[in-house]
Amino acid sequence: MTSRRNFIKKAGVLAAGSALPLSVVELSHANTEDNFTFAFISDSHIQQIKGNQFVQNWDRGLQRAVAEANLLDPKPDFIMYGGDIAQIGTAAEIDHGLEIMSALRGKTHYVMGEHDYYLDLGEHWSKRLGDQYYSFDHKGVHFVVLNSIVTTEEWTNKWSSGEERMGVMAGLDDPRGSPFMVGDVQRAWLEKDLKAIDDATPIVVFSHSPLQKLFANWNFWTDDAEQIQAILGRFDNVNVFYGHVHQIQYNQIGNIKFHSAMATAWPWPYPNSYAQATNYMPKLTVPMNRADPFFERDATGWQFIDIHSGKADLQYILPDNDDRKLAYNKDTGRPEDTQYQVKQKASQKHY
Amino acid sequence: MRSTLLLISLLFSSTSLLATPLGLPEVPVPADNPQTEAKIALGDKLFHDARFSSTGDISCATCHDAKKGFTDSPLSVSQGIGNLEGTRNAPTVINAAYMKTMFWDGREPDLEGQSAGPFVNPVEMGLKDHNPILDIVRTDPEYVEAFKAVFSKHGDAVTMTEVKKAIASFERTIIAGDSPFDHYYFGGDETAMNESEIRGLQVFLGQGRCVSCHTTNQNTAIFTDNRFHNIGIGFARVTNDVTSIVQAYQHSKKQGEDLDVAVLTKGNVSELGRYVVTDKVTELGAFKTPTVRNVEVTGPYMHDGSLETLEDVVNFYNNGGVVDENDPVDPFTSGGIRPLNLDDQQKADLVNFLKALTSPEFAQSAKK
Amino acid sequence: MKLLTKISLVGCLLFGANVVIADEFTQETVDEAHAEFMSVVEKGRGLFVDPNLGSNGVVCAQCHPNGANTHPETYPKFQKQLGKVAPLWEMVNWCIRNPLEGMELDADDPDMAAIQAYIHYERRGVALAPGKK
Repeated sequence: MTSRRNFIKKAGVLAAGSALPLSVVELSHANTEDNFTFAFISDSHIQQIKGNQFVQNWDRGLQRAVAEANLLDPKPDFIMYGGDIAQIGTAAEIDHGLEIMSALRGKTHYVMGEHDYYLDLGEHWSKRLGDQYYSFDHKGVHFVVLNSIVTTEEWTNKWSSGEERMGVMAGLDDPRGSPFMVGDVQRAWLEKDLKAIDDATPIVVFSHSPLQKLFANWNFWTDDAEQIQAILGRFDNVNVFYGHVHQIQYNQIGNIKFHSAMATAWPWPYPNSYAQATNYMPKLTVPMNRADPFFERDATGWQFIDIHSGKADLQYILPDNDDRKLAYNKDTGRPEDTQYQVKQKASQKHY
Repeated sequence: MRSTLLLISLLFSSTSLLATPLGLPEVPVPADNPQTEAKIALGDKLFHDARFSSTGDISCATCHDAKKGFTDSPLSVSQGIGNLEGTRNAPTVINAAYMKTMFWDGREPDLEGQSAGPFVNPVEMGLKDHNPILDIVRTDPEYVEAFKAVFSKHGDAVTMTEVKKAIASFERTIIAGDSPFDHYYFGGDETAMNESEIRGLQVFLGQGRCVSCHTTNQNTAIFTDNRFHNIGIGFARVTNDVTSIVQAYQHSKKQGEDLDVAVLTKGNVSELGRYVVTDKVTELGAFKTPTVRNVEVTGPYMHDGSLETLEDVVNFYNNGGVVDENDPVDPFTSGGIRPLNLDDQQKADLVNFLKALTSPEFAQSAKK
Repeated sequence: MKLLTKISLVGCLLFGANVVIADEFTQETVDEAHAEFMSVVEKGRGLFVDPNLGSNGVVCAQCHPNGANTHPETYPKFQKQLGKVAPLWEMVNWCIRNPLEGMELDADDPDMAAIQAYIHYERRGVALAPGKK
């Protein structure tokens, strides 16, 4: 009997740190009225083969995330979708993705991704989902959603068709692409939007591209990152959540904490795995272990964010892996991985 | 019947200290439980002793019958005392010694740990605790002598620890390789399998995608990755109520309900699979990959015995994790399961290959 | 003395003439070989982003931008998905068969050579580490 008891006890201890809160979530922080949670799903890349046939792998990924998010108890306040719901932004793909998302129980806010945008400059996306950039307030936190994957007018207009343009932007490593940016118009809007808000108000920004300059080859990049960071710099507490990179990344610049989202569709390798280019990755974060392509959900996932007094704890729910949790560390003043950094578990490097 | 049992037991116990069968690695033996002839014989006796049940007619061998591939084929789920039904299909003992966890949900880490559970499960042997077993082994003269010889212990010093060790020792001799596949793949005998079986092997390693979970190595094959996967069997029964089922289960757990009892007496909890051991939502409905050695004689298949024939199994996988190809795939099904697009020839070849995994000791139990 | 002179004279004549000796690489042959190779690398890149390589429109570059994470320097190695030690081309075929839901290529198919050429080219300079897990 003893071996089994110990076995289960150990599992129970692990559960506290790494399991999805299916039972009552214990939010053990002060000021409980300011605490809330939301789910964050991103990068489904719904891809049409023809007619009613879609790549089943990506469909399954989004279905899994939706099914798991629906298990959350207590329910999150809302769900954020981080961009790239479609692969080449056709109406069929966007609609099919939204159909899968419709099974979610709760209000969802959407972020624009380049795969949604470049076919028709977001026309169908906006028809279904509304504004491409906007803000809202929730329980004392100011939320901003940016469309950070636009680029120069010149590049945007030089193509013979939307299809051609989308085809180029759809290739992550296509050298004919162009760096992402937020752009003058949105920066002006952002300044105006934040004008009346005092420095102590927690700010949460959603964008598809990282709002940092990480790796130009794969457009892990926002060209006016410094300017955006300058606008956000005066606030005490800023959390940026971005998609696009399909991998775990986190960083802190001044008071701004950056967190990436996993894709539900497929993972991307870390930039330092490309031997022919230099990259400016933030001093990471323990990277993910290499995925097993047989298990199509390996290294994919979604996120669950717990906001307590404006601080954000982020949990990566990974279907074929141990969950990863980034908890805000009061002593160091930054998000830290509870397994790999706090407990100093060695990460693996396997091929 | 008795003599056949004895013969098979003798066959195993005599091979216990011989070379490992073709296609299998060395049996892992824990340092604190080395193999000896006497311990194996004692374990054999305990394994077959029906007195260790509340009705006096159920032993380990009832559900793990050597003549039925060490299962209770053709039962879908096992029946204990008074024909009480459990929720799960009896896994085979053959080659269980290579598993890194025991039971369909891996809730015990080794053979020793597993052996004590069924005695005190209400739908298996039905004892309230292990005391009746200890009474017998401490007083029955044959047992008294055997425990003294094997463990140098008698009286109250004989505990369930010794009983478990002996049973585990016996089970470590229940290994079987040497199948036509082994002779073909590892033994270099190109005539050991016929053309259909060879094509089936290629399906197993290729389009069928079987090898990723039912693993093979360069020189040996135990055909299991020792991991847990939700392949879509049975989870549809609980998928719409998962939150409430999990909450009810967590509530009972907090009140001290025994895991072993819960999973075998409550169908809903049983379907949660590995989740009940690890509390990880990613392991909802996940069950351990069994070996495919000797599958020909260990049917019916899956944790609930719901697939009757190997053809049913191949169709299930070919459909991408559903019994009827028009059923929707459950969203919690593992990403490793997808439609295979095998044609009828490939499916038939695959079944023939699976039958080529039967070890010679069990060839007679196989339906030809 | 005479014979030796004759031989050395003949030798000078031979070497003096513009005859290409086998095993001597001129800049021309080097450039030509490189051009041949790069043309196949380009063809491989084309296949790497070709939606018709498989049957569902998925391309290699979706998961392997610039061929990253293919680790050609570690092959042959034990490849779990194949259940044995295998060279790179067998794993390429696994990817064509599985995520791309397509038909496998023969080992000596020029397309397979091209794909491998591209993968290796993007990984040039990285030390060999065969068998590395």
